Amino acid sequence: MSKKLVIDPVTRVEGHGKVTVHLDDDGNVVDARLHVVEFRGFEKFVQGHPYWEAPMLMQRICGICFVSHHLCGAKVLDDMIGAGTAAEVRVTRTAEKIRRLGHYAQMLQSHATAYFYLVVPEMMFGMDAAPEQRNLLGLIEANPELMRRVIMLRKWGQEVIKTVFGRRMHGINSVPGGVDKNLSRAECDRLLDGEEGLASFDDVMDYAQDGLRLFYDFHEKHRRQVDGFAKVPALNMCLVDADGNVDYYHGALRIVDENRRIVREFDYHDYLDHFSEAVEPWSYMKFPFLKDLGREEGSVRVGPLARMNVTNSLSTPLAQEALERFHAYTGGSPNNMTLHTNWARAIEVLHAAELIGELLRDPELHGDDLVVTPGDDAWVGEGIGVVEAPRGTLLHHYRAGVGGDITFANLIVATTHNNQVLNRTVRSVAEDYLVGHGEITEAMMNAIEVGIRAFDPCLSCATHALGQMPLIVTVHGPAGDVVDERVRS
Amino acid sequence: MNLGDFDDDSCLIYGIGNVGRQDDGLGWAFVDWLEAQGRCPSAQLQRSYQLLIEDADLISTKRRVLFVDATKDESVTSFELRRPAPRMDFTFTSHAISVPAIMATCEQCFGCLPEVYVLAIRGFEFGLAMGLTRAAQRNLDIVTACLSSPGRVGNATTATTGGTRPHRTAAVSSDSHR
Repeated sequence: MSKKLVIDPVTRVEGHGKVTVHLDDDGNVVDARLHVVEFRGFEKFVQGHPYWEAPMLMQRICGICFVSHHLCGAKVLDDMIGAGTAAEVRVTRTAEKIRRLGHYAQMLQSHATAYFYLVVPEMMFGMDAAPEQRNLLGLIEANPELMRRVIMLRKWGQEVIKTVFGRRMHGINSVPGGVDKNLSRAECDRLLDGEEGLASFDDVMDYAQDGLRLFYDFHEKHRRQVDGFAKVPALNMCLVDADGNVDYYHGALRIVDENRRIVREFDYHDYLDHFSEAVEPWSYMKFPFLKDLGREEGSVRVGPLARMNVTNSLSTPLAQEALERFHAYTGGSPNNMTLHTNWARAIEVLHAAELIGELLRDPELHGDDLVVTPGDDAWVGEGIGVVEAPRGTLLHHYRAGVGGDITFANLIVATTHNNQVLNRTVRSVAEDYLVGHGEITEAMMNAIEVGIRAFDPCLSCATHALGQMPLIVTVHGPAGDVVDERVRS
Repeated sequence: MNLGDFDDDSCLIYGIGNVGRQDDGLGWAFVDWLEAQGRCPSAQLQRSYQLLIEDADLISTKRRVLFVDATKDESVTSFELRRPAPRMDFTFTSHAISVPAIMATCEQCFGCLPEVYVLAIRGFEFGLAMGLTRAAQRNLDIVTACLSSPGRVGNATTATTGGTRPHRTAAVSSDSHR
C-alpha cells in the first residue's frame, strides 16, 4: 500500500519547496526527494541589462545573503573589465579589505539569524516541542536576556554592513574594479567602541561565543540524538587560500573526500571543465556534480560543515581553538553528522567576528586607492566570481556584448550545490522515522524539517525566485497513491 | 492622534514596503510626503523593506512610534489607524515579523514599550513595477489630508478608518500583504 506525506510549508526555510518520501509494500523507504517548485527567473531577466547593473540586481534575489550576491557579481565585473583575477590583476588592497569587511559582517549576521533565530529554539525546547513554543518568539519568552544579546549581536553586524554599503539591506559599494567608498578611522572606532544602543566589539565577542556555549551544552545533553541524526557522506568543497585554509572571499576551489584527501583543486574560472548539472522533472533546482565522478559520487556538500571539514586551520585564535575541538571529535576525519552543521555555523559566527575585529583595526581600510581602471582595450566581456556565502559556495558567471549589455548569466548557489546532499538527508531522516510506522507523526514532520533546516537552505536563491512560493513535502508508495497527508502552514 | 504628536526626537515614523512592488511602496510614499512637506522634522524617519527583530531594539529607544504600511485588507476602505497591543503571535520568519511581536519583544528583552500606532493604507496591486496605482495614490492623498487637518485622527484605544467604513479594532499584520 502506498503512502504520501505532505508538509506545506516546511517552516523556517527561506523560500518554498516540497518533499516526497516513497515507500514500498513493506513500508520501507525506497526514495526521498526535495522538490523545489519555485520559478527560476533572475538568470533570464538580467539579460539585456548593462553589465554594471548586475551586482545591484542580483542581490535582490535574497534579503538575507544579499552581500554575497553583490560581491560575487562585483568579482565578475572585475573580470569583465580586465581588473579581475582572470586577467591576473587584483583590486587594490583597500578595496579588497573593504569588500571582505562587508562579507564577514554578512557572515556574522546571516549565521546569527539562521542559528539563533531558527535552530536554537529547537535546541532549547527539543525537536518534539509544539511549534508554538519551538520558535524564536518562544525563545524570547523563555530567555529574554539571551535574545537581547542576539539582537545586539545581529544589530552590530548590520551596522557594519550599513557602514560599508550605505544601507543595512541591498546597499551598494562595490563597483567594477573596486569600491567607491573607504572607511574613516571614526567609522571604525564607532564600531569598535560602540555607542548608546550599539554594542562595543568586546561585547560582540562575548555575544558571538554564546552560539558555541549553547551548542556544547546541547550536545552534552543530547549527544546520541545530535550525532546519530542524518549522517550523510559527501564530498566537501570550499574556497581555500594557498595554505589550504578556508577563505570566504577568494581562493581556489578545493574538494576533499571522506578521508580528507584532496580529490580536486582548481581555479574557479574553470568550473565548467569540472562541473556539470543534472536536472530532474520534479524540481526546478539543478544537481551539480563533478563530471568525471558522476552525480552519485561527484556531488558535493558546501557550507559551514563542508568548510570546517576542508580547512586545515582558521586564522583567528578563538575560532582556531573551536576548530581544533571540532576536528578532534571525529579524529580529524570529515564530519558527516548533519546536525554538526550547527556546530560549524557557531564556529563561523566567532570566526567572522574575529575577522571583522582585525579589519576594523587595519589602517588600510582608510586608504584612498579604491578603484583599478584598466583601459578600454582590457575589456574581456566575460567573468566568473565565487565567494563563500554563509550557506556555502556561490558562483556567478556573466557574459556581455560589445555594448556592455548582459547576454548570458549562470548562477550556482550554495543550496543548489547541496541539492543531492539535501536529498540524501531527507532520505536518511525518512528511513529513521518512517519505516515501520503506519501514520505520519508530528515527530516525523519535525525531523524532516530539522534535517533540511540544518543546511539553512535558501530555496529562493536556489531558483532565483520571483515572489513567494510555498514548500510542500510529500511521501508516496509503490503505486504512487497517497495514504496520508499533512499540511503545515 | 495628529502629526504634531510625533514632532520630536523621541518619536519614530517607520515606513514599511518596497517601492519596486507598486502599492507596497505606500509606507515609503508616506515618509516621502512627510519629508516633502517638512512635517515632523524632529522625528526619526525610517524606511525599510520589512520589520526585523532588531526593530524591537530601535523602538525601545523611542517614546512614540508610528508604523506605516500598505494593506491588502479589503475591509479597509482607504486607511486605518490603530493601537496594536504587544503579542507573541508566532509570525516570525527571517523575512517578516508583525508589529505586535516586535512590541512584545521590546517589552520582554528591553523592559520598556513606547506608544505604538499602525497606519495601514489600502493598496491594490503588488506586482513587480515602480509607482503607486491611482487608487493607492488616492488613498495616500486621503490619509495625508486627514493628518494635515487641525483635528485629531482616532484616539488611544480604537482604530479609525478613512472613507465611510465604521471604526474597528481588527489587527492588520505589518506583513499582511506579503
